[in-house]
Amino acid sequence: MVTKMPEGEAEPVSLVTIKEPVDLIRLSVDERIYVKMRHDRELRGRLHAFDQHLNMVLGEAEETITTIEVDEETFEEVYKTTKRTIPMLFVRGDGVILVSPPSTTS
Amino acid sequence: MVPTYCKFVIFNKIVRLTSKMLFYSFFKTLVGHEIIVELKNDICVTGRLHSVDQFLNIKLIEVCVSDPEKYPYMNYISESFIRGSVVRYVQLPVNSVDSQLLQDAARKEITIR
Amino acid sequence: MSSGLESYVNHTVSIITSDGRNFVGTLKGFDQTINIILDDSHERVYSPNQGVEQIILGLHLIRGDNVAIIGEVDETMDSSIDLSAIRAEPIGSVVF
Repeated sequence: MVTKMPEGEAEPVSLVTIKEPVDLIRLSVDERIYVKMRHDRELRGRLHAFDQHLNMVLGEAEETITTIEVDEETFEEVYKTTKRTIPMLFVRGDGVILVSPPSTTS
Repeated sequence: MVPTYCKFVIFNKIVRLTSKMLFYSFFKTLVGHEIIVELKNDICVTGRLHSVDQFLNIKLIEVCVSDPEKYPYMNYISESFIRGSVVRYVQLPVNSVDSQLLQDAARKEITIR
Repeated sequence: MSSGLESYVNHTVSIITSDGRNFVGTLKGFDQTINIILDDSHERVYSPNQGVEQIILGLHLIRGDNVAIIGEVDETMDSSIDLSAIRAEPIGSVVF
């Protein structure tokens, strides 16, 4: 095993202790994650970068927007989803509600 | 072949620069590239990234709005400044993003603080 | 820190606010929160069934929080637009 690490190097992932929520996100770097956004938007994509505001860069990001339409005759609520894929996407953190690591991402 | 150690030193310098300012530094590497900025009012603005500041305010040149019929508001505007807080997404050119470097910097960003 | 607005000072700018309104005037000043001083300003009110209405406002200060986009206006091109012929839906608000 490596005994001396150059100054400033990140600890190997297996040794990282999880002290606060962002540590969990760090473990998801280079993994496909699920992000729930405000206004009924969801994203799935490979996490390339993030910061403390939860600004993120996602690769092959698939966005799903869910809208509810009420059928005028039956008053039934119909959920409609629209999807699009963006190869490389910067997401501003203020719209993020939750980030879910890959184990729970379908 | 660059030895691993050398790569590391180079990388370390970049990280020092980016500490706490990862996305600011990242956007600076994209100056001159064409990006699509999607705002929280659903307007999409395409343009060449001219500059960015620490609040991630974005200045674009060669601007065009994705739907000028619907939004004639931006007619004859070739340059524009977008307040960072109204940005929802920025669509980036895949080929100008070094995802490996980003990932390494992101892992480190949180460690340094 | 350079926010990039310096080059617009004393130029005609068009500002879209976060509630979807459009103001046009001469940029006289700004600060780091993007508070804006706009001289000789007017508001352009777009509507789907009539031409653009212009409301003269004079000297205005717009608080930075409410600013979405600031565009530099090409004055010669802008004065060639027939505003009375433009029909448009209002812009939506910025929803944070």
